[in-house]
Amino acid sequence: MQQTTELVQTPAVVPSQRLRSYGRTLIEVVLPPLAFFIVLLALWEILVDVREIPAIILPKPSAIIRRLAEEPGYFFIENGLITFYEALAGFAVAAVTGIGSAALMARSRIIERTFFPLAIVIKATPIIVIAPLLVIWGGYGPAPKVIMAALLCYFPIMVNTIIGLRSVNPTSLEFFQSVAASDLEIFYRLRAPHSLPYVISAFKTSASLAVIGAVVAEWAGAGQGLGRVVFLMASYLDQEGVFAGIVVLAAMGILLTALVGWLERRLLHWHESMIVG
Amino acid sequence: MAVQDHVIVQGLHKVFTAGRGQREVQALDNVDLRVGAGQFFSVLGPSGCGKSTLLRIVGGLIDPTAGSVSIGNGAGPHDAQRAKEIGFVFQEPGLLAWRTVAENIEVALQVNRKANRPRQHSTTELLDLVGLTAFSKAYPHQLSGGMQQRVAIARALAFDPKILLMDEPFGALDMITRQAMRYELLRIWARAQKTVIFVTHSIQEAIILSDTVAVLSPRPGRLTGIVDIDLPRPRTEAMERSSEFLQTIDQLKQLLREETNHAANN
Repeated sequence: MQQTTELVQTPAVVPSQRLRSYGRTLIEVVLPPLAFFIVLLALWEILVDVREIPAIILPKPSAIIRRLAEEPGYFFIENGLITFYEALAGFAVAAVTGIGSAALMARSRIIERTFFPLAIVIKATPIIVIAPLLVIWGGYGPAPKVIMAALLCYFPIMVNTIIGLRSVNPTSLEFFQSVAASDLEIFYRLRAPHSLPYVISAFKTSASLAVIGAVVAEWAGAGQGLGRVVFLMASYLDQEGVFAGIVVLAAMGILLTALVGWLERRLLHWHESMIVG
Repeated sequence: MAVQDHVIVQGLHKVFTAGRGQREVQALDNVDLRVGAGQFFSVLGPSGCGKSTLLRIVGGLIDPTAGSVSIGNGAGPHDAQRAKEIGFVFQEPGLLAWRTVAENIEVALQVNRKANRPRQHSTTELLDLVGLTAFSKAYPHQLSGGMQQRVAIARALAFDPKILLMDEPFGALDMITRQAMRYELLRIWARAQKTVIFVTHSIQEAIILSDTVAVLSPRPGRLTGIVDIDLPRPRTEAMERSSEFLQTIDQLKQLLREETNHAANN
C-alpha cells in the first residue's frame, strides 16, 4: 500500500507519560495561582494589622478562618449545603427545560416564533426583582430559590443549545441527507453531538448564575440557607461571619464550575477547545 | 462498447429564486446526459456554471424545476437515495469531529439501516483502500486535508453504493496533494468498480480521470459538448505529456471558450 500524501499526526499520549504529566500539571498549573493567592492573603493580613483597620470594616483572613472553624455544628457548611442544593436543582430544571425547549424550537420555526419572545422577556427583565413575588407565592421553603436559579440559567442554556443544534456543518448535513437519514437520525447523530460544546459553554455561565439566583431568593425571604445567613450577619455588622459565608459560597461556585469542567473533559475531548498545543 | 446506461438525465432545468420572489437565476438549461454503468464521467465547467447543482439534483439533494433523472431501472434520485445507492463526496470532507476515522466511516451504516445491504468491505478494508490503516483511531483534526477527504471517500463507499457522485472533491487541496489524490482515486475506482460522476473545473483532472467529459457553459448551465477520452487505462502521469492528452486539452479549451464568448454576447 503506497502512502502518497503527507502523514502528519499529533503524538498520542502514552499512559506511562501520564504520571509525569500530572506532576507537571501540579507545578505549572496549580502552583502559580496558589502562590499568588497566598501572597494576596498575606498582604491583606499585614495591611489590616499595620493600618489597624477595625474588624467591623475589614476582618483579617486569619480571623475569618478561625470563625469558620469555631462555628458550632458546621453552621456555615450546613446552610451552605441548603443553598447548594437549591442552586443545583434550579440548574437542573433549567438544563432540562432549556435543552428540551431548544430542541423543539430548533426543529420548528413556528414553535420558535411562538415561544422565543417570552424567553427574550425573561432575559431582558432583571429577573431578580421578582424574588419578593416568588417568596409571596412560594413561601420560605426551597421552591422560590429553585425557580429563581432556574430562571437565571434558562436563557443562556436555551439560546446556546439552539445555536449548537442549528450551526452544523452544511457538508455533514448534506451527507446525512444523501443517504436518506431520517430527521431523528440527523438529530442524534449530528445535531445533538455538535451542540454539546455550546451546551457545556452555557453550563459554565449558568453554574455561577444558579448560585446567584439561590442567594438572591434567600435574601428576599428564607428560613435557612447561606444567603440568608450572610444577609442576617451583615445586618448585625458581623463582618467576620459575612466573609466566612462568602468563602463557603465561593467554594460552592468553584465546586460547581469544576463539576462542569469535569463534564467538559469527559464529553469534549475531541473539541478544538480541548486540544492543547 | 455496449455499456448499459446507469444514469439518464433528460431536459433538466433548474431555476433558483433569490429572495422573496424577486430575482430568478437559471442554473441549468435543458441538460441531457447519459452515463454508462461503471463509467468514470466528468462534468467540466467554470465556477458558477451549475455543475454542482446538476450533481445535487442527480443525488436527490435538490429537485429540478423541470426534466427528469433516471437511475438504474427508471428510479428517481429520491428512490436511489433511500436505497443507499448513491455515495456523495463533497468539496469539503464534512467529517464528524467527535468521531474517529473508523467511526466516521461507520456512521454511513448507522443511519437509514433498513437500506443497508450485506457489507462488501469491512471498515478495515476500506481504511486499507484509502491508505489510512494507521489512522483508524485518529480524530479528524489530527489529519491533513487530503487525508480527511480520503476518509470522506471511504465513508461514501462504506455502504457499497452503485454510484459515486463527487463534487470537486479535491478543490480545497494544494496542487501537490491534488495531483496525488487523482491517481489515488483512480486506484480506488479500479478496485471498487462504481459508476462515477465527477464535477471539476480542472481540464487536466477531467481528462486524466475520465472515460467521458461533458462540458457545461456558465449561466445558465448548458451542455456544449461531450468528449470521449481514449487514453488507455491504467492512466499514468506520463500520459499527461502525450500528444493525445494535449490535443484533448485544446479541444476542451475550445469548447469552454466558445461558451464563455457565447455567454458574454448574451
